[in-house]
Amino acid sequence: MSNECAHARIAIGGEPHAIPPEVTAHLATCAACRQFHAETLSLDGRLRAALELPLSNFRKAAPAPARRFAMAASVALALLVGGSFWLFRPQSALADEIVEHVEHEPDSWLSREPVSPDALASVLEKAGVRYDTRFPVTYASPCPFRGHIVPHMVVQTDHGPLTVMVLEHVKSDAEGVFTEGEYRGIVLPAGSGSIAVVARKGQEFDGDLKGVLEGVR
Amino acid sequence: MNPRPRGTTAGAPFARLLEMLRPDLVRFAFWLARDRAVAEDVVQETLIRAWKSREELKDQAAARPWLFTIIRREHARLYERKRLPTVDVETVEALGDPALASDGDAGLEDLRRAIMQLPDEYREPLVLQVLGGFTTGEIAADLGLTQAAVLTRLFRARNRLRVIYGLQAAEDAE
Repeated sequence: MSNECAHARIAIGGEPHAIPPEVTAHLATCAACRQFHAETLSLDGRLRAALELPLSNFRKAAPAPARRFAMAASVALALLVGGSFWLFRPQSALADEIVEHVEHEPDSWLSREPVSPDALASVLEKAGVRYDTRFPVTYASPCPFRGHIVPHMVVQTDHGPLTVMVLEHVKSDAEGVFTEGEYRGIVLPAGSGSIAVVARKGQEFDGDLKGVLEGVR
Repeated sequence: MNPRPRGTTAGAPFARLLEMLRPDLVRFAFWLARDRAVAEDVVQETLIRAWKSREELKDQAAARPWLFTIIRREHARLYERKRLPTVDVETVEALGDPALASDGDAGLEDLRRAIMQLPDEYREPLVLQVLGGFTTGEIAADLGLTQAAVLTRLFRARNRLRVIYGLQAAEDAE
């Protein structure tokens, strides 16, 4: 391997997304280094995916050797911020992920036009899920969530829009209520998995849950 | 009433910002500590320190690298203060830590295990770059290294992972 190639590979391996001009010039003349660059970019895509650990995994049988330290820190903060609750809410990786997902699709709550039955059926088919609610569905998208495609829907109730995600692959033994930022939600056991319902904080939806759950077939 | 000075960080938006960034803080702390409980503690301590120092953050766009830097320091400080034993990677691997699990993607899980087994001096800059979005110059400044040293470490980290990914490793005089 030439010195130029060796230099190029260190530069590519060091920062594949920002290679210096002389390496770019070298790539134009060296097929082997071009291939190395393409491979490294591909590896980096996998690397990112690998590093972005699902936070749900953190809830699985985590040992807690330093738990007392964490509690002391929490108490210190309570004194410090006096009433700010954000640090003391129950750890809920699933809630984090659900809200994060909802926040990534802010337009989903804007639509008021019902989704056509065909479009809804297509989304449900892609997710391999059956759902038939009495509420008008004004948004439906097949979304990746924890390695599966799930139907992300918005239904219109008398109290306002509700995001509904049918999580067939997320087993839930008991209902869990959560408040995250501007959102309030609940994860309920449904069928062999669960269903997540999210509303804007302050919006009542307890009375609508029965109707939402009825949709799960 | 005195208006809030421009550029300072008000409590509620800052709390929301921390909430938004928290998942990546937990991930970064985990990749540093390779232990979930320690990672959670480091993040807790980081959030407390960030809250106390929130007036120092003049630009919210800089919050992410700022918090990552605090994580690094808190991680180092925790080990100094608590004299925690370092994590034995072989033990972590043998336990099959669920944090590394991936639904149906064995390749991704293998890659995670390979990252876990990278030496600290390779893993840390790699995570800062790929997960934290730091440039090599920023990593060099943060770790007190030359930029050339950082580039070499990143090259070697990726070179080791290439094999796991089924690629041929580049020649290296390591």
